[in-house]
Amino acid sequence: MESVKKPRVRIVGEEKVRLKKSFVKPWLGIKYLFKKPVTIKIPFERIEPAPKYRGFHTLDWKKCIGCNFCGQICPARAIEMTWIEVDGKIEKRPHPKVDYGRCTFCQFCVDVCPTGALGHVENCYLTTSGLEEDLELYDWVPIDPKKVQELNEKFGDYRFPVERITFNKETKETTYYLRDGTEFRFKIIGYGLKPPAAARPKPAAKPAQKSAESSKKDESSKTEEKKG
Amino acid sequence: MADLEVPKELREEAKGHDMYLHPIDKNTYELFFGPQHMATENFSVILKMDGNRIEKAIVNPGFLHRGFEKLAEGRPYFTNIALLLRICVPESDVPENIYSMAVDEIVGWEVPDRAQWIRTTVLEMARMSAWMFWILGFGNEIGLYTAGQWAAAYRERFMRLFEELTGGRVYHIYTVPGGVRRDIPGDKWLRQLRDTVEYLKGKLKDFDEILFDNYITIERTEGVGVMDKKFALRHAVTGPNLRAVGVPYDVRKDDPYYFYPELDFEVPVLKEGDSLARVLVRRYEMEQDLYILEQLLDMGPPSGPYMVQDPRLKALPRFKPPKGDAYAHVESTKGDFGAYVVSDGTHKPYRVHVRGPSQSHGVTVLEELLKGARLADVPVILKTLDNCPPDIDR
Ligand code: SF4
Ligand code: SF4
Repeated sequence: MESVKKPRVRIVGEEKVRLKKSFVKPWLGIKYLFKKPVTIKIPFERIEPAPKYRGFHTLDWKKCIGCNFCGQICPARAIEMTWIEVDGKIEKRPHPKVDYGRCTFCQFCVDVCPTGALGHVENCYLTTSGLEEDLELYDWVPIDPKKVQELNEKFGDYRFPVERITFNKETKETTYYLRDGTEFRFKIIGYGLKPPAAARPKPAAKPAQKSAESSKKDESSKTEEKKG
Repeated sequence: MADLEVPKELREEAKGHDMYLHPIDKNTYELFFGPQHMATENFSVILKMDGNRIEKAIVNPGFLHRGFEKLAEGRPYFTNIALLLRICVPESDVPENIYSMAVDEIVGWEVPDRAQWIRTTVLEMARMSAWMFWILGFGNEIGLYTAGQWAAAYRERFMRLFEELTGGRVYHIYTVPGGVRRDIPGDKWLRQLRDTVEYLKGKLKDFDEILFDNYITIERTEGVGVMDKKFALRHAVTGPNLRAVGVPYDVRKDDPYYFYPELDFEVPVLKEGDSLARVLVRRYEMEQDLYILEQLLDMGPPSGPYMVQDPRLKALPRFKPPKGDAYAHVESTKGDFGAYVVSDGTHKPYRVHVRGPSQSHGVTVLEELLKGARLADVPVILKTLDNCPPDIDR
């Protein structure tokens, strides 16, 4: 193999590579003193992230079918499936909750999502002021892409669309305070692929159910009645 | 430092290890070089000094050990891309490509031409930005900070191009088994790439002026850290370091992949094997890489899909390749980078082994070359060997 391929290597000898030692030439670099600097003065100038930069996620809650493909592909195991109750109504399927303390922003989850529910925006600023409550901020169920787009058009500085997240331990109510002042409330009632106790029928009915798919619908409607 | 009080038991114990505490003689002292020193990046060298001369050097890696190979066994095939690229930080596309090539071979996928073109371009762009990163490090080590600052600014141009193509700046997570993840954003991107190549061609002259022709560079590197051909071959030295001792070995020529058989480029070879030769080989390769990028742009991306069409890709997390194993390697700026992947038919690889060039450059060769060198030459030898600590530790 060696002998066949060797002649194709065009070797460059010393004469071409070797350069000349010089005292004077380095001083020619001084000409750059009179040119415009390339440094970006950050608070005054800004570079926009490229279109389709891999930033924060968005999730269309209506489209998500809770298939957990995103959770399976995630290399950092940043995705946790979450059962959510909005306005007293339990969502039929679990939704992914992304922990940005682990996320690597690879967006493999976006690639595999079969329904296109999960998406991403260019927003990329992860910095906070370092307060204790800010740590809560980056573990969220992504919100609707339209809302994020709207916020982006309003502010245009590519920051996290949510200003503060509070979690009430007793009522399990989570509140997102969006940047434009609106609030968004829902309840997190459980984690994992299996429906949580609140969404499950009475234990006597069906203790072990593998194919929860079909039964999930009536389960959630039952619990709605119970809650209501 | 000579009469530093070391408890007697510790001294006795230290004799058993070759790693940490050494009994110190009257005239020799022990110096911990790195990891806080800029030149060593993320590992350290323990030097046993006799005055200004180094008697013995012991490399102390392991600060970055994350166990990539073991971690890769526990994750699905595609997911591993986001993990393995962290092996080589300055050119993260290399681990992506070797792993993807190996998996392609196991599955038996014919990667579409367009994807191959994009992969070749991305590899060359990664090489170029890695050279810029190397100038930043090397220039700083010999005190020519200006060159380093310029290089960092030029690297930014490639980062911007990567950002537009892949959506990431440093870790691109772009090449996956079967092709690439996104198509080229449009003709505008190709024009920008050509502009950047033209721009850098002009800037290489500036680098010649202030760095490569510079009196200081030549004085600092000539005759420092000499290695001969036999030594280099015995220690599995690859890449520019091997070409600097007179062996014309380049994976792109000797075991071509992607579009390289159709490209025309030269392999620079010098005989001296000292630091200056290593610097000059790198300087010439930059020129060749720009030339390759130009040829690729003249060729233009072939039309067609950028990803193989396979129904199995619909259920990506559960994608199962057939049983088999494959080895693939590419030429990186550090040397010959290879990956060996074994599949046992499940959705996770049975074994992933990465062959990095830095293990030999940064540990065995470095220890030998440092013997007898002056303290001030340590950064120069380190930087001209151009090892990558994340790759040593893995
Ligand atoms: S976001 Fe997409 S991939 Fe994740 S559970 Fe919902 S539908 Fe499935
Ligand atoms: S982008 Fe984040 S959450 Fe999505 S797969 Fe990658 S690491 Fe996981």
